[in-house]
Amino acid sequence: MKDISEDIAWAKINTDVLKSLENPRKLYWVILLIAIAMVGVAAGCEVYQYNTGMGVSNKNNTHVWGLYIATFIFWIGMSHSGTLLSAILHLMHADWRKPIYRFAEAMTTFSLMTAGLFVAVHLGRVWQIYYALPYPNGRQVWPNFQSPLLWDAMAIFTYLSSSILFLYVGMIPDLAICRDHLHPGWRKTLYTALSLGWEGTDRQWRNFRVTYLTIACFLIPLAVSVHSIVASDFAMSQQPGWHITSFPPYFVAGALYSGCAAIITLFIILRYVFKFEEYMTLPILKKIVRLTFAIAMVWTYLNLIEYASVWYGHDQASKDVLIQKATGVYAPFWWMMNFCGSIVPLILFFKRFQTHIPVLFAVSLLLNMGMWLERWMIVAPTFSHGYYPWTWDHDQWPSLVQWGMVFGSFGWFTLLFMVFCKVFPSVSMYEVKEMVYHRSQATKKLEVTGNLAAAGKGAH
Amino acid sequence: MSVSNLLENWSDFRHTHPVDDVPHNPYKWAMSIDLDACSGCNACSVACYAENNLPVVGKDKYAHGYAMHWMRIERYWDEDGRDFPDQGAQFLPMMCQQCEAAPCETVCPVGATNHTPDGINSQIYNRCIGSRYCEANCPYKVRYFNWYDYPTTDNVWPAEMNQQLNPDVTVRGKGVMEKCTFCIQRVTVAKNNAKNEGRLVHDGEVWTACQQACPTGAITFGNLVDPESKVHKQWQAQQVELAKDAQTKDKEEGGSELRGYRIFEELRPYPSVMYLERVRESAV
Amino acid sequence: MSKRHLLALFSNFDEAEAVVRELRSVRIKGFDADKDMIVKSPIEHPEVEEFLGDKPVYVQWFTLGGALTGGLLAFFLISGSQANFFSQVKGGKPIVPFPPNFVLTYEMFILGGVYISILGFLICAGLPASRSPLYSAKVSEDQVGILVQADEAASSTLKSIFIKHQALEIQEEAGK
Repeated sequence: MKDISEDIAWAKINTDVLKSLENPRKLYWVILLIAIAMVGVAAGCEVYQYNTGMGVSNKNNTHVWGLYIATFIFWIGMSHSGTLLSAILHLMHADWRKPIYRFAEAMTTFSLMTAGLFVAVHLGRVWQIYYALPYPNGRQVWPNFQSPLLWDAMAIFTYLSSSILFLYVGMIPDLAICRDHLHPGWRKTLYTALSLGWEGTDRQWRNFRVTYLTIACFLIPLAVSVHSIVASDFAMSQQPGWHITSFPPYFVAGALYSGCAAIITLFIILRYVFKFEEYMTLPILKKIVRLTFAIAMVWTYLNLIEYASVWYGHDQASKDVLIQKATGVYAPFWWMMNFCGSIVPLILFFKRFQTHIPVLFAVSLLLNMGMWLERWMIVAPTFSHGYYPWTWDHDQWPSLVQWGMVFGSFGWFTLLFMVFCKVFPSVSMYEVKEMVYHRSQATKKLEVTGNLAAAGKGAH
Repeated sequence: MSVSNLLENWSDFRHTHPVDDVPHNPYKWAMSIDLDACSGCNACSVACYAENNLPVVGKDKYAHGYAMHWMRIERYWDEDGRDFPDQGAQFLPMMCQQCEAAPCETVCPVGATNHTPDGINSQIYNRCIGSRYCEANCPYKVRYFNWYDYPTTDNVWPAEMNQQLNPDVTVRGKGVMEKCTFCIQRVTVAKNNAKNEGRLVHDGEVWTACQQACPTGAITFGNLVDPESKVHKQWQAQQVELAKDAQTKDKEEGGSELRGYRIFEELRPYPSVMYLERVRESAV
Repeated sequence: MSKRHLLALFSNFDEAEAVVRELRSVRIKGFDADKDMIVKSPIEHPEVEEFLGDKPVYVQWFTLGGALTGGLLAFFLISGSQANFFSQVKGGKPIVPFPPNFVLTYEMFILGGVYISILGFLICAGLPASRSPLYSAKVSEDQVGILVQADEAASSTLKSIFIKHQALEIQEEAGK
C-alpha cells in the first residue's frame, strides 16, 4: 500500500483541506464549550490559590514542588514531536511526514504555551514573575544566570518563538491558497494580511526553501537542548533520585515518546473528524507507530539504565529513593508508569495492531498517561524521601486545586488546538502536492525504465 | 562599564569558593553546638520565633508540615526496638547551616539568595518570587515557605500579640521563602557600632537569639576568623576546617576521638555550623 | 516606452520549462528574460531553479550573522551583568561561571540564528510584497504561471510563444 495515492488532483487537495476550515458542526461547539469550562476550572483554582496562598495546593515545606512541575515537564515533552516530524524528518527527506507535520507543529506550539502557564502557576509570587526576566534596569539587578530555571525560561522562550515562526513560515504558501480560494470576509482579510503577498514566484520559493531548511537545522539542537535543560532542573540539583547523569537523554527520549503518542491520538481524531483518510493514510500511521515503538524501546532502555546506575551506585540515599518508589506509597503509580511506558508499547510489535485504530487510540492514551506518571514519579518521591530523614514525608497528596489545574491544562490545550484547526489548514496543502508530484514523477521514471516490477513497492 | 569591569577584574570573577578563594576577612560568622549540653528544651526555637517574627501557624498547619521554625529541635530515638529507651531521645537543633557553597544559592532564578562577604547565606525577601527551587535543593530542608499570608491570618499574631513583633525584622507576606539568618539584624548593629568606633566586632558582642536563650550554653556563635573568639577556638580544638569536605582527623586509623563534625560535609556545601557529638554513656 | 505585463498559465512544469528555455534563447526587443520573467508555481520545485539558471540565495549569510551576534551578545551581556550584580558569590561557584553561560550562549545563538534568518527571508524574498499586476488563483491550485513584462511591441511575440506551448490561459494587462 502506498503512503498516498499518486493521482489525487491538486485542486481536490485544496478543496478537501479548505473544507476543514468551513463552519464547524454542532459537536465542535460542544467540545469547545467543554474545553472552555475546563479552563474555567483551572482559572478558578488559580484565583483561589492567588488570593489565599500556595498552601491550598497542599504542598508543604518538604514537598515544595508537586504536580505543577510534573505537568510542566509533561507538556514540554509533548512539544518535542512536532520538531521531530517537521525538522528531523525533513532533513532526512522522509516525505511521509508532509501530510501530518502541520498539526504536530501546532501541537508543539500549544503544548509549550500550556507548559509556560505552569511556570506561572507554580510561583509563590506570580505577580513578580518579571523578576526572572533579564531586563535592563537602573539598579543593575539581574536574574541569576546560574539557575537551571533561568535556562529553562530562556530555552522555552527560544523554542516557543522559533516554533511559532517555523510554523508560520511553513504556512505562508498555504495561507496564500486560503486567501485565493475563500470568499471575502474576516478570514480573507486575515489570510491576505498573513500571507504577506505570497504568489509562489521563483524568488519566493528559492528563499523559502533555504530558510525552511536553515530553521529546521536550528530547531533540532534546540529541541534537544530544551528538554536537556528541563532535565538539568533535576540533574543539576544535588538531591537523591535527581542528581543523575543520564537524565538529559532520558528526558529527551521521554519527550519524543509522549509527543509521538500524542501525534497518534490527534492523527486518529483529525483523520476521523475532517475525513482526511486520503491524506492521513494508514501506511503513514503505521510509520509513526513504528517510530513510536522504537522510541518506546529507547526510553525503556534509558529508564532501566537509570535504575541500574542508581542500584549499582554507592549512594545509599539515591538507592533508598528508588526503593521507596518501588515499595512505598508511590508504588502503584510507579509500577503503572513502568507498565504503561514499557509493556503497553509491546502491543505495537504486532503488525495487526499497527493500523488498528481503536487499539492505537487506547494505546496512545495509555502511553501518555505513563509519561505523565513518569514525570510525577521523578518529582514527588525525591521530596518524600530526601537526604534529611527528619523531613521525610510519605503522606502528602496533591489537593484538588492542583488536580484542577492539571485538568484545566488539557482543556486549554484542546481549546487552542481546536481554534487552530478551524482557522488554519491543519494539513499542509502545498507539501501534500509536492509529495504527490514527486511520487508520481518517481513512478513515471520507473515505468520508463521498466523497473517498476523489480522495484516492487513503487514510488520513492 | 560592564565589559571593561569584566576584563579588569577577570581573575576575581573566576575564584571558586571556599576552596581557592581568599578567606573571609575580617568576619566569618560561624557556630558550634554542643549536643552533649543540649537538653532539647526548645528555648532556642521559642527565642527564634520571638526575635525573627516567625508566624505561629497553629496545630493543624503544623501537623501539615507548614511550621515556620527556623530553629527546630529534632528528636532521634535509639533504634533498639523499645518505645522509650533508657537514655531518652537524642536532640539536634537544626537551622540554616549558612553553607560556604550553598546548593540553594545557585538554583535561585532571581538571585534572591546570596553569599554575603561575612559568610552568611542571605535571603532577599523582596526579590523572592517563590519558585521554591532553593528548598528543593537544600539537603537539610531548613528553608521555610510562606504558604499562606500569615500576617493577615487569624491567630498567628492575635491582637496585642502583634505588639511584640520585632521592629528590626520584617514580617514576611505570602509566597516568599525564609530561613535562619544568624540574626543578621543583631550582627548588623554590632558591625555598625564597631565601625563607628573604628574597631572590629569583638567576641561576645553579638549573640544570636537562640544562643541567648539556651539555658545550658550549648550554642556558641562568633567570628571564625578572629583567633581570640570562642567559636574559632572550638573549631580549632576539634580540628574541623571550614573548606574541607572530609576532615583530616577522620582519616586517621580508628577514627578521631574528637567530637566535632558537620552534617552532610561530604555533599560539599561546607556548612558553617559545627556540632559536637553527644557523649554516650555506653562510650564513657 | 510603456511596459505591459502578460501572465500565461500552464498545466505542468514540462511545458513551463520549455517556455522558459525558449524565452531565454530568443532575443526579443524590449524583453530581458533574466529580469522580466517570473515563474509562479504552486509547489516548491527545485527544477524551476534549474531551468531558470543559477540565482543566488543570501539567507544563509543572515543566519550566520544572526547566530554569531546572538551568541556573542549573550555571552558578554550575561558575563557583564554577572560581574556587575554586586559581584555576589552564589553556591561557591565563580561569579562568571562558564557552564551556565555556555548554555545560555547556545540558546541565544539559536535564537539569533532563527530570528535573523526569518528577517533575511523576508528581505531576500521581498516580503511582504505588493501583489503583482497579474495573478491567477490557479497558481495556488495546480497551474504554473509565467509572468513577463515587455514592451507593447513584444507582447504578440511572447503570446505566440505561450500559445505554442499550450498555455491554458493568457492574461493581459489592460493598455493605458
